[in-house]
Amino acid sequence: MIKKSFGSNWWIVLMLGWMWMNVSWSSETTDESFTEMKGHIDAINETLTEVKNTVDKLNKIKVSGYVQAQWQVADGDGIASFAGGNFPMGVHQRFAIRRGRVKFAYEEKFSTYVVQLDVTQGGVRIKDAYLRVNDPWRLGLALTAGGFDRPFGFEISHSSGLRESPERSRIFQTLFPGERDIGFQFSYANEMGPLHFLNAKFGAFNGTGIEANENDNHKDIIGRIGVALPMYELNMALDGGVSLYRGKVRNNSKYYYEMENKTFKLDSSASNQWKYHDRTVYGVDVQYYADLPYIGGFQVRAEYLIGKQPSTEKSNAIYLGTDANTPLYQREIQGYYFKLIQNVGTKNQLVVKYDTFDPNTKVSGADVGASGSNLTAADLSYTTLGFGIIHHWDANLKVTLYYDKVTNEKANQAATGSLAPYREDLMDNVFTVRLQYRF
Amino acid sequence: MKKLLLLLLVGFIVVLVYAQSKNTITVKGSDTMVILAQRWAEIYMSKNPTTTIQVTGGGSGTGISALINGTTDIANSSRPLKPSEREKLKQRFGSLGVEVKVAKDGLSIYLHETNPVKELTLQQIRDIYTGKITNWKEVGGNDAKIILYGRENNSGTYVYFKDEVLNGADFVSTMQSLPGTAAVVNAVSKDKNGIGFGGAAYGKGIKYCAVKVDNQSPAYEPTEENIRSGKYPISRFLYMYLRNKPTGAVKEYIDWILSAEGQEIVAKVGYFPVK
Repeated sequence: MIKKSFGSNWWIVLMLGWMWMNVSWSSETTDESFTEMKGHIDAINETLTEVKNTVDKLNKIKVSGYVQAQWQVADGDGIASFAGGNFPMGVHQRFAIRRGRVKFAYEEKFSTYVVQLDVTQGGVRIKDAYLRVNDPWRLGLALTAGGFDRPFGFEISHSSGLRESPERSRIFQTLFPGERDIGFQFSYANEMGPLHFLNAKFGAFNGTGIEANENDNHKDIIGRIGVALPMYELNMALDGGVSLYRGKVRNNSKYYYEMENKTFKLDSSASNQWKYHDRTVYGVDVQYYADLPYIGGFQVRAEYLIGKQPSTEKSNAIYLGTDANTPLYQREIQGYYFKLIQNVGTKNQLVVKYDTFDPNTKVSGADVGASGSNLTAADLSYTTLGFGIIHHWDANLKVTLYYDKVTNEKANQAATGSLAPYREDLMDNVFTVRLQYRF
Repeated sequence: MKKLLLLLLVGFIVVLVYAQSKNTITVKGSDTMVILAQRWAEIYMSKNPTTTIQVTGGGSGTGISALINGTTDIANSSRPLKPSEREKLKQRFGSLGVEVKVAKDGLSIYLHETNPVKELTLQQIRDIYTGKITNWKEVGGNDAKIILYGRENNSGTYVYFKDEVLNGADFVSTMQSLPGTAAVVNAVSKDKNGIGFGGAAYGKGIKYCAVKVDNQSPAYEPTEENIRSGKYPISRFLYMYLRNKPTGAVKEYIDWILSAEGQEIVAKVGYFPVK
């Protein structure tokens, strides 16, 4: 029976034997496969860690920038303008690359390296080149050294890529051309802690801007103390600050002009050569932000500056004389701006800005051109009323339409020569259409 | 020149009228909140068919960036807005941003269900994620290397954990960054030596580690009672951020989220109502 049974089912026994052998072999194979797979996974993990380390390093490099392409039309040919520079002779409309910025930053835990270039039709220029070291105790202290924004007021450090009006106010363009200077700065800004509402910056600088070498041994001290007062429940904020620029400018000539009875009086004594003169500016700035229901955020920004500016006969810009034949003219200046910005929905903004700059507070327009005053067009004050519309196409692209109505103080009606045109308001209004791409 | 300016002004008004007439709400941000946000949107749209709500994740940082860029109406965030982000909103939109607390969450520590470790102090968690503790036996577990799982740096959970648990210290570089809390849970559930962190709503297939403030304190699990009472040491609010005070369709939607009906959905998804 058993024999018969076995005889009829011998193939089943064979099959089971084969399966057992196969399972045994398969088990060995699975173990090998598992080990091999684990090896592969470990290798992938190792590779991933290496890739992650590389990516982490690359993440420390930040690249950002923006380009502003614009078309402008002015009221007259070849006008002098603060809306992006003077128009060439015989030209009243132009295309221009106003700014072509690219900024590279390498950020470590407690230090940052930054270089920013500006690439336009005028060539490539350095805008920023600095290092910053933050305190390791996270107190909000930092040291910055190199070429960077002067720590004065609000408008200087407000990026051109974010600013609603195409250009900075005339007073800032005159007193602080290019906004940057070379030196070092200490700063404090701690988002946490009891002094979170306070920020401060001060430093020492050459005083000649980022593109010029130092021309004297005196270093200019610049600083600002600011407060930020957010009112979260009301969705409002009030920020502001006071600033100081205390510098000196060396007169390379023996000729020194100072205001006296509405005229520039010359002092040409030999002791004037190499003498230092005050370059002092005081500033106060305020920014107010409020949320208007159904319309959008509303902002008011204002800034007032007053001080002394050593300059030259025909320019109220800073005196950078390098020879013994360029007299120094000491002017007392003041100016201010206020700007209103209304967001309409998420994509549109309306802007109105009024700025004024009086480069010589000791005289009025009627004194300029008067006989023997030694006053020039550089002593006339200007006001600019600007208004514009900004449309943010998307997160990167915005279109700005902006009109600058520029009004100069009228010179004495008896003025002749180069001052004669200033007896009337010059035809120097400018309309700007600007496209900006920012990343 | 005057005619040109007038023409431009008229064109601008036309664009404005067109732009204001839409009734679509976009919501972007926290991955922790994405399921909750989708549930809210589905139920709200079923009851308000004229309103369309588009919900996407991407992380709290992504949502907040979109809010600053003007590409979303609402940013979901599992962490508060940073002062630097408020500053960007202020400069671009003249607004500090409007914060709405919509739910509460316990940030859970996940362990594999076979891991003998049951509780950890905040200091031990900090030491594990900063690389000072690397073996489970140092915290009462097996002699095995600790495998760390966490979130990517655009995640609000990542930022919250770094700020509140690690006290601002950096994560150790061996931590594997994963693109969502669900991925962290999945990884820990398959790794007996794994540890991860994330929201309570995703805590399936793993066990929660009880957390205590220090060695002398009692340990608490991230239960509703412990989180609502504040006993569980790592709890946080979940937020919606808007650029401006809500009006129109957005206001109606936010009001509904904060209503009893909206908060009921919070509990159903696994978080804790704020009202």
